[in-house]
Amino acid sequence: MSLDFQSIREQVKQMGETAVIRQRELRDKWELARELLKGEAQDLTALRQKVQDVAQNYDPTLRCALPIDDSLTEGYPLPALPTEVTILAADGSQITPDRNAGVNYALINVGAIQMSLGSSLAPSTTTISELLYDEDLYTSTGTITDARLALMRDLKERAILAKLAEQIPPPLVTFTDGPMELWIGMPGGGRANTETKDILDAYIEALNKLHSLEVATAGYVDRPGANLIVRTLEVAIADLSKLADMKDFRPLRGVTDVALYGQILKEEERSPVFALQSQSVKSYQGLLALHFFYLNVGRAGHPYLARVEIPAWVAENEAMLDNLHATLVDQAKMMGVRPYPYLLQRAHETALVKLQEKEQVTQMISLELRKQGIEVEQVSAKQFAKQSEGRTRYEG
Amino acid sequence: MTSIEIGRLLRASTTGFVVGCRVSQIEAPSFGTLVRVPIGDNYQVYGLIYDIHIDDDGLVRQLVTAEGIDEAVIADNRLNRNVPVEMSVLAVGYQADGAIYHLLPPRPALSLDVIYLCEDAEMCAFTDAGRFGYFRHVLRAAELPVGDLLGAHLRQVQAAQRRAGNEAWAVEATKELIVLLRDDYPSLMSVIGTLSDAIPETWSGVNP
Repeated sequence: MSLDFQSIREQVKQMGETAVIRQRELRDKWELARELLKGEAQDLTALRQKVQDVAQNYDPTLRCALPIDDSLTEGYPLPALPTEVTILAADGSQITPDRNAGVNYALINVGAIQMSLGSSLAPSTTTISELLYDEDLYTSTGTITDARLALMRDLKERAILAKLAEQIPPPLVTFTDGPMELWIGMPGGGRANTETKDILDAYIEALNKLHSLEVATAGYVDRPGANLIVRTLEVAIADLSKLADMKDFRPLRGVTDVALYGQILKEEERSPVFALQSQSVKSYQGLLALHFFYLNVGRAGHPYLARVEIPAWVAENEAMLDNLHATLVDQAKMMGVRPYPYLLQRAHETALVKLQEKEQVTQMISLELRKQGIEVEQVSAKQFAKQSEGRTRYEG
Repeated sequence: MTSIEIGRLLRASTTGFVVGCRVSQIEAPSFGTLVRVPIGDNYQVYGLIYDIHIDDDGLVRQLVTAEGIDEAVIADNRLNRNVPVEMSVLAVGYQADGAIYHLLPPRPALSLDVIYLCEDAEMCAFTDAGRFGYFRHVLRAAELPVGDLLGAHLRQVQAAQRRAGNEAWAVEATKELIVLLRDDYPSLMSVIGTLSDAIPETWSGVNP
C-alpha cells in the first residue's frame, strides 16, 4: 500500500468540515460577481480605462478581459452555418528527451485534418514528424526543456495550418486545441530570450500568413480555467488603496467565468468578444491582437462553456466571427453528449504518439546507431528497476 | 488464380487465424467463405470465415450519442480511423507441393500475410480433394455456430460446383455430414435444420 490512508482520512474529514463555511462564503462572492456584471461593470469606458491603468502602473502581469463595446451580459445567438466552408484543425504531441533511456532524442508530431462542410467525402489528414537530436537537444542554458518543446509544438501546429491554408480558398476556418497565446513565461535575458523570441517571431509570421489568406483562425480552450472576466470584475471593485497590491487582491476567488457565463449564455450562444489583457499583449499587435469569447456548446439546461481565442482580424470581421461560431457549435454537436469539436479530437488522434510508437522510434534509432558502429547505452539502473515486472507465480 | 485480397493476417495459430481489413474491403468476404493464405511458393493454408466483427472505441461510442451523424464523419471513421474489421478464420486444410490436404496446416501463416478469397476453381479443387475430411475441423469447433457455418459454406460451394457442372456435390456433402453426426443426434438435427434452410433444393434430394 503506497498511500497513508489513515492520514488522508483525517484530512478528508477536516476538508468536509470546512466545506460548508467555504460554500457560504462562495455564495456571497457569487452574488457580488453577478451584481457587478450587471451593474458597475457596465460602464465599459471607465472599466477599460481602469484595467489599462492597473496593467500600466500597478501590475504589469495583470491577465484579464478588456471589454470592447458590447454589454458584458449580452448573448449572441447561433448564426446560420455557411453553405460552403472548409474546416482545418491541428494538434500536436511530443516525445520529450529521457536521460534514463538508452538513446537521447526528442520528437514533435503535428497532425492536421481537413473537411469541407456539406461534403460527404472523408476528411483528409496530414502528419508532420520532426526528430530532434544532437545539437537540437541543447539550448544556451542547458538541455531542452519540456516547456520549450511545448512551445515548438504550438508553433508547428499554427505553421501547419498556415501551410495547408495556402492550398484552400476562403472561407476557411481553422483551429487548434488550447490558447492562441504562446506561453513564453517571464521575460528573461541573453540568448535564452533570443531563442524564445525566434519561436515567437515564427509564430507571428504564421499568424500574419493566416491573416493574409483571409483565414478565420482560433484556439479552442475546453473547460477553461483562467477566470479572465472575474479578474476584470476584481479590478472594477478595487479602490485606490488596493491597486498597489493588485496581485493579492482576490475578493472573488472561487467564482469562475465558466459558471458566471453558464448562467448568462443560452444554448449555442456566444458572449461578447473581449480583448485579452496580458503581459504578452505587446507581442500581438494590431490585427494580431488577441481576443476571446465564451461559447456555450452544451444543451439546454446543461451549459458547457469553451473559451475561443481569436486574433483581432477575426474579432473585427462579422462574417468570420459568425462562421467560426456556427462551425464550432456544429463541430461540438457532432460529439454528442460530450461536446468538443470533432475535428480537434481527430487532429489529436492523428498527432498523438502512442507509447508503442515511441518504443518503435527508440528501437529504430538504436538499430541505426549500432549499424554505424556506435555503442548504444543501456537504460539507466533506475529506469530498469521501474520497468521490472511485478511478482510472478510459479505455474509448475 | 484470383487476386481478390480481403485483408492481412493479424494473429494465427495452427487451428485458425484472424484477418484485419479496411472497411472498403468488407464487401468481398462473407460468413462461410473459403479463403487461402499463400505462405511460400508451394504452400498455402485454407480456412473458413466463421466470424466477422467490428470493434468500437471511445470516439465511436461517443458519436452514436449525437443527434445526427454527418456523412463526412461516417466516412472518416470508416476510411481513415485505425479500427480494422476483423475476421476470424478456422483452418481447414492446406496445399503443399500441389497436393491438397484436409488436415491442420503444419505451420500457421505469419503476421501481415495477405489473405485471398478462393475463386470457383480453387473452391472446387479444395472441396473435391479427399472425402470431405475438412468437415471434421468444423464439427469439432463446438464453440462455433456449426450448423450456420456449414449451411453458408455448402451454399457457396454448391453454386461453384454447379457452375463447374457438378450437380451432385451438395447431396454427397450432406450425406457425409449425416454419417459424421450419426452418433450425435442433437447436433445432427441442428445441422439438418440449417441445411434445409440454406440449400432446400438439395435437401429434398437427400434421403437420410
